[in-house]
Amino acid sequence: MTEALVETVDVEKLFPLTQSLADTLAGREKHVIHAVDGVSLQVQRGEAVGLIGESGSGKTTLGWLIARLHDSTGGKILFEGVDITKVKGRDLRPWRKEVQMVFQDPVSSLDPRMRAWQIVGEPIQAQGPITKAQLRARVAEILPHAGLPADTLDLYPHEFSGGGRQRLSLARALALDPKLIILDEPTSALDVAVQAQVLNRLVKLQRDLGLSYLLITHNVAAVRYVADRVAVMYLGRLAEVGPVREVLEHPLHPYTKALLAALPVPEVRRRAARYRVSGEVPTLINPPPGCRFAGRCPFVIDRCRVEEPLLRVIPNHPNHTVACHRAEEIGDLPPEELIGEIPRLPTS
Amino acid sequence: MTEPVLQVENLSVDYVVGEGIRAALRDVSFELHPGQVLGIVGETGCGKSTLAHAIPRLLAEPPARIRSGRVVFRGIDLVRLPKWQLPQVRGTGISMVFQEPINSLNPAYRIKDQIAEAIHIRHLRESGKEKGLVSPLAPYDYSKRDLPKAAEVLTKPLVPSLAKRKMRLPLEEDKEKLLREVLEYLRLVRINDPETILGLYPHELSGGMRQRVMIAIALSGRPSLLIADEPTSALDITIQAQVLTLMKELMTEVNTSILFISHDLGVIAEMADAVGVMYAGHIVDLGPVDQVYQDPRHPYTKALMRSVPNRYKTDGPLPSLPGSVPNLVRLPTGCTFHPRCPIARPQCSKDPGPALLPAEGASSSQHLAACYFSRDVLGMP
Repeated sequence: MTEALVETVDVEKLFPLTQSLADTLAGREKHVIHAVDGVSLQVQRGEAVGLIGESGSGKTTLGWLIARLHDSTGGKILFEGVDITKVKGRDLRPWRKEVQMVFQDPVSSLDPRMRAWQIVGEPIQAQGPITKAQLRARVAEILPHAGLPADTLDLYPHEFSGGGRQRLSLARALALDPKLIILDEPTSALDVAVQAQVLNRLVKLQRDLGLSYLLITHNVAAVRYVADRVAVMYLGRLAEVGPVREVLEHPLHPYTKALLAALPVPEVRRRAARYRVSGEVPTLINPPPGCRFAGRCPFVIDRCRVEEPLLRVIPNHPNHTVACHRAEEIGDLPPEELIGEIPRLPTS
Repeated sequence: MTEPVLQVENLSVDYVVGEGIRAALRDVSFELHPGQVLGIVGETGCGKSTLAHAIPRLLAEPPARIRSGRVVFRGIDLVRLPKWQLPQVRGTGISMVFQEPINSLNPAYRIKDQIAEAIHIRHLRESGKEKGLVSPLAPYDYSKRDLPKAAEVLTKPLVPSLAKRKMRLPLEEDKEKLLREVLEYLRLVRINDPETILGLYPHELSGGMRQRVMIAIALSGRPSLLIADEPTSALDITIQAQVLTLMKELMTEVNTSILFISHDLGVIAEMADAVGVMYAGHIVDLGPVDQVYQDPRHPYTKALMRSVPNRYKTDGPLPSLPGSVPNLVRLPTGCTFHPRCPIARPQCSKDPGPALLPAEGASSSQHLAACYFSRDVLGMP
């Protein structure tokens, strides 16, 4: 196997909650949020990896860790084989150039007082001195890649439409010719018709420029269009990783099945009872041992509450890993075929 | 045919803003029948929330201005109703559920007080102590449901002393009876352990729970019309699925008609009987939901349907709609969709297009489209 562009090895991010002095003096257990809890994920060169999960699953935190916007509290992050986990400050600069981000809300991630050429040009200036004329010429070359006409150079962010602003964000990410772009919910703030334009642009860019993507989103269908592989995250851990088609058509983890079943599909179908999980996403503060999904899983057995399932390959599903003790028994039926009563499996 | 609960006729709403007049709604007409769920779908800025707020007259007027049209709710034209009478229609006649439950709930009051207030107002109107313009629906049949054990919670005072002055709370009413009814509504929206929830404040609940509480408050007035404006858009996807399932189950239990507003074509497909597709303040396609989805008869509807990514389809680029939603201050001449329309003809840039016409060749006479060339949509590129 070739060396991955980016690889995380058991990366971990714990956020300690503030504790009162009385609690500290009494020696009470500290409350810690396990936002990302031992995640190992690779992104290959030229590959688009989708990271899906609900809010609070830690998917954004993982993206920030890889972009080094957060410092990890454990594990390692390798970029082209080099451990960059502990690299800090100025030493990170050559590496910053290779990894760029696009955020969800283009309104709050673009400075309203800067013009388009200043926004897109800022990362270029940060890398070294350049004249204004050169900078403008460089930005004018970049804008069309993101699907913006070059004559928008002097516009302010509010003069763009929602999709236009997101393209401006994308142009800024492209400015330094990066190897990896981390897209954090790039289309969630957009309407469907505009979303389609942006998704198509992302696919085209990846093909033309050989980029790698980490696409963080809760939008499963968007992942299907853009990504080659997909990782499903739940409460700080990976539940399932595999080729996008495999995971979305033959989901193995009960959580993935529930997530897919919950997608409202714009087709009028039989309004039958559907496969649903009950309960809500539990808190990440001091999570219990065992499988994180045990509290909501319809297939739960005693073992799940005690022993943490690790990502593993199961027979007949190469390249597809799942963290579930009962994956073989539950099988790979898509949620549509689990309609109605959830099959009661013999408890082993 | 039964008499509709709600008839909206040629409703036009403007916003008077600095740059001019924004035509937020133009000639919107539809009917909603008892027990029916009408979905309204459209992109940001198409006017769907303006419609949701214009019906119960919740728009701030000014800047909004109802230019023309009628909103007839159970025989009363709400547009002509004096402002002071509007609260008499809300709650027991029309109630609403909004997108962000945290903005709709009062952060300073416990859940039980907020539901109790709505029930209390209904009691006053039912008993004739307060004038309500429309009567609440007949009580729901709770006999199928196991009734709550209210006794444990009754030891706590229902109303904190401070709250007495601010909220309209039932000082004279039988608190035990009221609390039992509050519990009934919490159970109706499938809240586990409602006795605990009663005493909590909104910030102590999760998003899904808050939205359930909002639905409980909305239903506790026994309204004939529930307007749900993006009720699940702020929720996570598995929680959204739970709330949608709950709302569907409730539809069969309560007799309320629902106007369900969403930008999500999938949510509407799941919830609605009929659907209206909005574009630039106008309903362009209206009909039974299976008809509109399977056989769209307005070019906009068809383009919108095709641009939704589907997790089973992956080949080729997503068909996308060129251009963007028009500026409502300077609407294009003629049909507002013509600059983006792949089947536009020369006359479309001059003629503003028809009001809703029966779609040519559609299998239902109830399928209406605001396009002269609805037959051409079938062969649209």
